[in-house]
Amino acid sequence: MESLYLLIPLSILLAFVIGFIFWWTLRSGQMDDLEGPSWRILHDDDKSTQKTDSNEAEKQKNPD
Amino acid sequence: MNTDSTLCFHCAEPCPAHSEFQINYRQVLHPACCAGCQAVAETIISSGLDQYYAQRQQPADRNTPLPAELLEQLALYDDPSLQQDFVHTTSGNEKEAALILEGISCAACIWLNEQHIAKLKGVTAVSINYSTHRARIAWDDSQIQLSAILQHIASIGYRALPYDHARDEQNWQKQRKTALFRLWVAGLSMMQVMMFVVPIYLAPAGEIDANWLAMMHWGSALLTLPVVLYSCWPFYRNSWRDLRHGRANMDLPVSIGVLIAFFASLYALITDHGEIYFDAVSMFVFLLLSGRYLELKARRSAGAAAEKLVKLVPTFAHQLDAEQGLHEVAVSRLSVNDRIVVKAGEVIPIDGVVLSGSSDVNEAMLTGESLPVPKTRGAHVTAGTANLLSPLTIEVKHTGSETRIAAMVRILDQALSQKPRLAAIADQIAAGFIFALLIAAAATYWYWHLHDPLHALPITVALLVVSCPCALSLATPTALTASTGHLAQLGLLVTRANLLETLAKVTDIVLDKTGTLTYGEPRITRTIALNISSETALAIAHSLEQQSEHPIAKAFLIEANLAPVSAAQQVQKHAQGGLSAYIDNQYYLIGSIAFIAEQIQQAIPNEFEPYIDEGSMVALSDGHTWLAAFVLADHLRHDALSTVAQLKAAGFELHLLSGDQTSAVQAVAQQLNLQHAVANATPESKVSYMQSLQQQGKTVLMIGDGVNDAPVLALANVSIAMGAGVDIAHAAGDMVLLNNNLSCLPAAFALAKKTQTIIKQNLLWALLYNLAALPLAAAGLITPWLASLGMALSSLLVVVNALRLLSRQRRH
Amino acid sequence: MENQATYNYKVVRQFAIMTVVWGIVGMLVGVIIAAQMFWPELNFGPYFHFGRLRPLHTNAVIFAFGGCGLFATSYYVVQRTCNVRLISDKLAAFHFWGWQLVILLAAITLPLGYTQGKEYAELAWPIDILITVVWVCYAIVFFGTIAKRKVKHIYVANWFYGAFIIAVALLHIVNSLVLPVWGTMDSYPIYSGAVDAMVQWWYGHNAVGFFLTAGFLGMMYYFVPKQAGRPIYSYRLSVVHFWALSFTYMWAGPHHLHYTALPDWTQSLGMVFSLILLAPSWGGMINGIMTLSGAWHKLRTDPILKFLVTALSFYGMSTFEGPMMAIKSVNALSHYTDWTVGHVHSGALGWVAMITIGSIYYLIPRLFGRDQMFSVKLIEVHFWMATLGTVLYIASMWIAGVTQGLMWSALNSDGTLAYSFIEAVKASYPYYFIRFLGGVMFLSGMLLMFYNVMRTISEGKAVDAPIPAVAAHA
Repeated sequence: MESLYLLIPLSILLAFVIGFIFWWTLRSGQMDDLEGPSWRILHDDDKSTQKTDSNEAEKQKNPD
Repeated sequence: MNTDSTLCFHCAEPCPAHSEFQINYRQVLHPACCAGCQAVAETIISSGLDQYYAQRQQPADRNTPLPAELLEQLALYDDPSLQQDFVHTTSGNEKEAALILEGISCAACIWLNEQHIAKLKGVTAVSINYSTHRARIAWDDSQIQLSAILQHIASIGYRALPYDHARDEQNWQKQRKTALFRLWVAGLSMMQVMMFVVPIYLAPAGEIDANWLAMMHWGSALLTLPVVLYSCWPFYRNSWRDLRHGRANMDLPVSIGVLIAFFASLYALITDHGEIYFDAVSMFVFLLLSGRYLELKARRSAGAAAEKLVKLVPTFAHQLDAEQGLHEVAVSRLSVNDRIVVKAGEVIPIDGVVLSGSSDVNEAMLTGESLPVPKTRGAHVTAGTANLLSPLTIEVKHTGSETRIAAMVRILDQALSQKPRLAAIADQIAAGFIFALLIAAAATYWYWHLHDPLHALPITVALLVVSCPCALSLATPTALTASTGHLAQLGLLVTRANLLETLAKVTDIVLDKTGTLTYGEPRITRTIALNISSETALAIAHSLEQQSEHPIAKAFLIEANLAPVSAAQQVQKHAQGGLSAYIDNQYYLIGSIAFIAEQIQQAIPNEFEPYIDEGSMVALSDGHTWLAAFVLADHLRHDALSTVAQLKAAGFELHLLSGDQTSAVQAVAQQLNLQHAVANATPESKVSYMQSLQQQGKTVLMIGDGVNDAPVLALANVSIAMGAGVDIAHAAGDMVLLNNNLSCLPAAFALAKKTQTIIKQNLLWALLYNLAALPLAAAGLITPWLASLGMALSSLLVVVNALRLLSRQRRH
Repeated sequence: MENQATYNYKVVRQFAIMTVVWGIVGMLVGVIIAAQMFWPELNFGPYFHFGRLRPLHTNAVIFAFGGCGLFATSYYVVQRTCNVRLISDKLAAFHFWGWQLVILLAAITLPLGYTQGKEYAELAWPIDILITVVWVCYAIVFFGTIAKRKVKHIYVANWFYGAFIIAVALLHIVNSLVLPVWGTMDSYPIYSGAVDAMVQWWYGHNAVGFFLTAGFLGMMYYFVPKQAGRPIYSYRLSVVHFWALSFTYMWAGPHHLHYTALPDWTQSLGMVFSLILLAPSWGGMINGIMTLSGAWHKLRTDPILKFLVTALSFYGMSTFEGPMMAIKSVNALSHYTDWTVGHVHSGALGWVAMITIGSIYYLIPRLFGRDQMFSVKLIEVHFWMATLGTVLYIASMWIAGVTQGLMWSALNSDGTLAYSFIEAVKASYPYYFIRFLGGVMFLSGMLLMFYNVMRTISEGKAVDAPIPAVAAHA
């Protein structure tokens, strides 16, 4: 049962750490847009065959 | 992706035959409908953003080329005095603007905008919120001007408008985040404390060693501390604020209960004597805060109404003066007696008088009048209405807060602020209950302090916990939530759930005409053909009206199953709403009967006379003789008659209140057999009609649509806005009829009544429980953990009862 | 630096290939020990004995196969979603080679009999120290990359991976605390008795929770939407899912010790929280499956998607079965029987292996500059072999387990046991053969995968994708 000496304080510490992390996610705006991120990963085109296309696009960037 | 070769690659609208516009996308040529779409597509593809076309799920809006005046308008955005509302300087040359994007149809649009803007030299950061379409853009002012950024957005086919409520929004975000974190802290604490407490409850007495017990209790105390100090802060603040004014509110017993329970537990823990119930504290606070959080979000959506109304007015105007001729100016810079030009298709930005020109103006959003109103020299025009046909020169009479639309915003604000009356009554009743509770608690403590001082504190806390208005406070919201869900399935979206209660008490129903009982847009009700078959006449008219932007043209376009006719060519648009063109080398004219009579120099035929008053009449001619006439009128909705009959049978008093002309209103009132009908009602007179009803002690439901109804919708005891109405009405209505299907109203009333019954059952149960538990607790027969259990069980019963309101058929 | 504008795909490639290799090794050992159950004469000598091969099997499939899969995908996902190259190529390389060394040492020491005797934590103390060092490097690379991200929002998959990394570090350190006997591989545990058992199962349970669930959920939240071409059904729900899972998982551990020397109340606690666990688990599964709404037709032609969706279905099944088995009365029947083995494998084969296989099939062409795998047909065949193998495995073990449970507790009217232990073994015997068949089938699928991967690699060429210029976020 002595393990409780470790587990109970550990769990309390963990609760506070989790609380702190959540506070940080709220403050840093991680929860501002809960719809966009799911689309953003789809817009990241990781198909390897299109590599040449995007290289060309790189050269043409800043059209003005 | 469209593969149809006749649809525009960019906007998916049909291309004109033999269009020479083309888009080169991934080595394949695709057709484009116009130079605008072609230019946008070229910009997108040449910036290396062609992925947009692969990823989008909706075609883009059709794009018209940027006119010079728009460029001139955009340049005005560099004016610092105009920027002060929505731009702030972060450091040195760094500026940040809050914008709202228009033309976003799917996620790929957002991607496209972000990529395009980020590639501009001088732009340091950009992010667009997917749900609100709000953009934050930061840039270095020494490298790029805001107007240039806006131009780039326009060049890919979107419009960015300043979002000047950014500061308001920031405050709201901060408030929301704080509330969410308070709730979350209480939730986390509740979960963790439960971990320690559940085994204590489950274990037979004495099984857990004393040192473990102490440790778990101290852990609970530590975890409850943030709840007491942080999550409960608003309760303390509110109670203290009211106490200073000599009042007591719901937060007072909550504050007292939480503080006593926590410190009594702490005292018991330190002295190793008495009951400990940290779990009850955090659970109690968590439940209360969840309710508060939902309430906060609901309140927020109600406040957005006025904001949307203001958006009807444009930011820029074309000013006409002696020195500069026609130039662009910000509307806020206009003053009385300035002259402006409003072109066809633009929204009038001020109240004023027409100096020259003649045109039709769509005032539907202000008056509910479904047909455009002709305006010539000397006529008054109001801000927020749309000029349809030809340019008008207008002298400014009222600007900004002096305009009629500003006045309506004020009425709306007032009406909204009158709403919480009901909530105030509820608070008063609760205050009585609370005082009784506090007195009972004090008396209990006093009694036990005299007789058994050791148990005085735990017993008082048990009393406060067991009489915690948990079931009492759950009784109403759970029932409301359940029936709100059911109503949404019927097609009635409830934005302010607490008004369901009012819905059940409604005695009178006030109905708007245009858009509510009727479809709100003219349809062809009669065709009178001379020397030609009706089918051919309709088909020709259909082909001609395809070229028109006049709102009446829509009536022809929705006609289906017409004989095929070739496309109109050499189209010429005339002032006064006429249009001429050739179809298969035959000349045709279409327009109002006055216009045709003038063009062909012939009197209006007798055949048309009887129908002229039925609605507005559009005539077709071949340039020499009359061919046909079409009567266009607003139709009753297909379910209007049966719904009105059902509602009357159910005992409701029905009123028709419309801004439309007497003849149109009378016609509808007769058809539906309505006794009370008021025509020509202005927003102000609608409000006074509503007030007089309410003074007679009636509970009034208003069903309406359109901006002009917004103030009266807000004033009504409860209101329903038609889903197809303008945005503003959505916000002002307590409920929104999503499918415009009137026939679900009787079912909604029935459900509202059932909801009332269930709320009453719930309240009765909660009250009985409290009445039974209170004396038991006061007598010291209930331990705090038993109190918590009782509280939880009574709450559970209330919730289960409320669930009966959910709709049975979940599946389609 | 010339490679600054590309992603570090090298370490992803290395881990991805080793995922397949260790998968085959680990599952081969599994098939061998399944065969030893049916043909006991296959237990040759001390090194090839069931008792020594079994921990080798579990370590190889969990930490070598599952671990490499998690490392490959997490490095890929963190780079692509943060739009930035890994913070350090050297540390990442050290992570790869260090981890391979750990696996190699495990493969040598376990048959030699060096063990701490704790399930899923058998490795001797010097290897434990090496694991800790490698893991800290992994954490530095992963969180360092997140810290220098170019996208403001941290995608939900990274949250799951992050929780997995931190939790496993904590679990490993707490459970592996021993007093080493210097100069030997031996050590003395610092916990004893019931405490040791409790710490071990706090570890064992959370290893399942954060290694085999949170980590692979991270995989799911990236690869399912990517392969389906649809955004996750509800991103909001996925965030709630993350927090709810992190809250509740930690506490359900004691259900592994029902009917042991553990105090009764801790067992009850474990049972209650195991039941609560069902809610977040199913929330995640529904979120994943509903992502396909609007893309169901793709399931017909896309075997990779089949792997991912079947994995989610097995996840749903086993997370339902788990809490049921944590109910004490059910546990009375299932504990110590082969039902538990079946339950573990419905999670291990159905969920963990299938989601990993699907993700690796997604990755390989992208890492080697190919449009798709060498043969989509072979993936399809692999899918059906894996599914059939899993079903055979769990069905046979379920029947065997329930049979054993019933026979063990059957009493005669006079209160004596109705069956001797060997009678229950005899009754289970035919099912051991079916289990062996299921295993062989699953392993053969892996061999097909190996062939398919090798052909894809030989036709392609290792590429490091350029980092697309992205919108910098405020």
